[in-house]
Amino acid sequence: MKHTATRALDGLRRLAGMATTLLVTSFLVFSSLYLAPGDPASFLVRGRSASPRELAEIRHQYGFDQPFLVRYGHWLDQVLHGDFGRSYVFHQDVSSVIWSRLPATLLLVGVSALLIAVVGIAAGMVGALRRGTRTDSALVLLVTVGAAAPAFVVAVLLRSQFGVRLGWFPTIGNGTGVLDRLHHVVLPAVALSVTFMALVTRVTRSAMLEELGREHVEVSVSRGTPRWTVIRCHVLRNALGPIVTVSALLISGMLVSTSIVETAFGMSGVGSLLVQSVNQMDFQVVQAIVLLVVAAFVVVNALVDVAHPLIDPRVAAAGSAR
Amino acid sequence: MAAVLTTGACSGTAHSDIGGSTNAAYQLTDRTPAPTAPLDSFSWSIFAEPTSIDYAYAFDYPPNQILSNVCESLLRWNPDLTTSPNLASSYRNPTPTTWVYKIRPHVRFHDGTVLTAHDVVTSLRRHLDPAVGSAWATSFRNVKSIDQSGELEVTVRLKKPDSTFNQEMAASPGTVESAATLAEEGKDYGSPKGGVNCTGPFSFGSWNPGQSLVLKKFDGYWNPKLSAKAGQVTFVFLSDATTRVSAFQSGEVDGGWMVPTDSYAQLGSSRAGKLYFGRNTTVADEVVGDLKGPLGDTRVRRALLMAIDREGIVKAGAGGVGEVADSLVTDNVWNGAPAATRKALLEDLPRYPYDPAKAKKLAKQAGVRGQRIVIASSPLDSQSTITTQAVAQAARDIGLDPKIDTLPPEKYSTLFTDPAARKGIDLFLTFWYTSITDPLDMYTSLEAGASTNYGGWSNRDFDKAVEQAIGTYEPAAHAEANAKAQRIALRELPWLPLHTQPVSVFLGNRITGVRPSIAYLYYPWAAEIGARG
Repeated sequence: MKHTATRALDGLRRLAGMATTLLVTSFLVFSSLYLAPGDPASFLVRGRSASPRELAEIRHQYGFDQPFLVRYGHWLDQVLHGDFGRSYVFHQDVSSVIWSRLPATLLLVGVSALLIAVVGIAAGMVGALRRGTRTDSALVLLVTVGAAAPAFVVAVLLRSQFGVRLGWFPTIGNGTGVLDRLHHVVLPAVALSVTFMALVTRVTRSAMLEELGREHVEVSVSRGTPRWTVIRCHVLRNALGPIVTVSALLISGMLVSTSIVETAFGMSGVGSLLVQSVNQMDFQVVQAIVLLVVAAFVVVNALVDVAHPLIDPRVAAAGSAR
Repeated sequence: MAAVLTTGACSGTAHSDIGGSTNAAYQLTDRTPAPTAPLDSFSWSIFAEPTSIDYAYAFDYPPNQILSNVCESLLRWNPDLTTSPNLASSYRNPTPTTWVYKIRPHVRFHDGTVLTAHDVVTSLRRHLDPAVGSAWATSFRNVKSIDQSGELEVTVRLKKPDSTFNQEMAASPGTVESAATLAEEGKDYGSPKGGVNCTGPFSFGSWNPGQSLVLKKFDGYWNPKLSAKAGQVTFVFLSDATTRVSAFQSGEVDGGWMVPTDSYAQLGSSRAGKLYFGRNTTVADEVVGDLKGPLGDTRVRRALLMAIDREGIVKAGAGGVGEVADSLVTDNVWNGAPAATRKALLEDLPRYPYDPAKAKKLAKQAGVRGQRIVIASSPLDSQSTITTQAVAQAARDIGLDPKIDTLPPEKYSTLFTDPAARKGIDLFLTFWYTSITDPLDMYTSLEAGASTNYGGWSNRDFDKAVEQAIGTYEPAAHAEANAKAQRIALRELPWLPLHTQPVSVFLGNRITGVRPSIAYLYYPWAAEIGARG
């Protein structure tokens, strides 16, 4: 009983932590945007010579004339009710602006995540298990190049080779229908994930190497346990902790780094929307996206925390001994 | 020089660079080959997504090139830059302050309802409503009233004579929308949700935000001469220039206006389609954004212009297409002026031939040596970058200390809307077009107090000449006043004219029929596109 109560309390504490993080972030986001130079009201009149009275009217209409904390409170109240306000630029509700762009980005991030996890971890394992061979040196070289290659350069290369020259993949748009969407997302996903794949390969390789050098592994091997069993049960399982943590953080960070790739492939997603909205001072949209991204980070972190004891029994053991 | 200045007026003629250099010649095309068959659909690239397709906010290339096919105005701006009756079947001007429009009968909106005088009155009156905040409010600054004066007749009364008012009825300000739709859609009007309901050859189909906008052929269109040859047009938003070019090459997009200049050579010899150039009213200008800084002295502005290698900019920055500009407007906006006025104007136009030595001397007299100026640029395309570099070089040559401030494209566009964004910026590049065939469209934007007079330039004689041109309908006197304003503007140089630039359009192998001209902003150009045999 006591055990369950501790767990529940732990869960509550974690939830409270998540809520606090989001609240603090929301305040920071809200205040930093209002400190940004430029007057949203004069942007809203779009090149017309507005009289001071007109500007005052617009400021009033959008609530720019209210004290900062009142504005923040009002905004937070709206957000808690699922209303992110109205976009100054698109003349639509922020939620519908974001909703229309979210699927493309989620698919892009999803496919990239798959590539990063599968290719990155597999390549890292191969490198570690074939340490010092030609395959390993080739991998290390590829990883170095991959980690240094800017996404837009990769995007341009992929587009001209596999899109324009060979014509295997479409070079623009999101596509319609499941298969067509997947067809459209291949090149962007590769462009987006190259750097991250390289990083995960590197982390996997070194984590595996570290585990391979441990005493218990050497003991198991000397006892004649089959090689694959040793790798699966001892090396990979223990190395998985850092690999999962790094992969998860990279993937949740990807939500914002999609903008370059989205622009290069003419996709409409949240990344390009964020950049566009920042530049156009479309505050409501920026706030909503930043909150969304922070929420994704918080959730992914929590998931990693929850997953850790499942992956690595040592963490669970340490937790219950506390 | 006269030949150079009349480029826009002729067509189908080869133009070589100034001085007959070895640069590749280019041609202006009036009309691309006629289509041989109708077409199910075609796709078209646009460099930015419109924020709205409400005609009251349609003030830029993206919304206008879509709306020109969907919504119609009282008059029509044709590809040869003339105007003709459209939704107004005729109009008269009984007194200098009265314009009476006869509304064409039996015209249907896309929802099937019939166009009435009430729709016209409601549509035009929106520009007067401060709550709407129309981008075209200045076109209506002299309007006293807009009323229905007969079953199919609308009368506009002006506070004072205004020679631009009627011409602007061929552009966005003259757009007619269904009054019922305006009331029904309210704040959703013109958004992806609300769309529009007008009378053009295409109707609004769907708008997938961030991605594309689809127009559908309207079968009930009143004008058989301009009925659509394609069943559907899909506008694809592609902000990245290289993405656009590769989409042309792979055939994923059938065409697009405003081809990036650095791809002229590549697309000119492409097997995927053809590149055409057409009549334009656009001049590339360096806007003087701060007249209190080192550029406040007229001598420094003249010196700077003389030190800019404008031929070099045309060659390296504009793909060799265009001519050095001696004025802030292209010659073809003088179409309505008598030949004598135009001839006289050309003869005593102040000119600034490339002469760095003389420029240096002039700037020295003004005593601005070593002073810092900030030139804003945007990495939108290589053309802007090359031009900005050339201007910075010229500034350095005359002893100033130039600094280039590179802004993201959206931020750059706020230079045109937000005075706060212009703070500390001495110069910025613009490609300025006129929406009507009258130099006045340019020169009214330099009047004292105009929101487009970015540097706050003020010259009483200039304003007087502009006001006189606005109030004068008689062509010769109107042109005389315009010419006077132009001479002052070019002596004082509130903006520095760099070069003219023809309209560019790429057509993929599947399509043809378009008339390359700046009129695409107000003329239903997409209706003329059909299948290529």
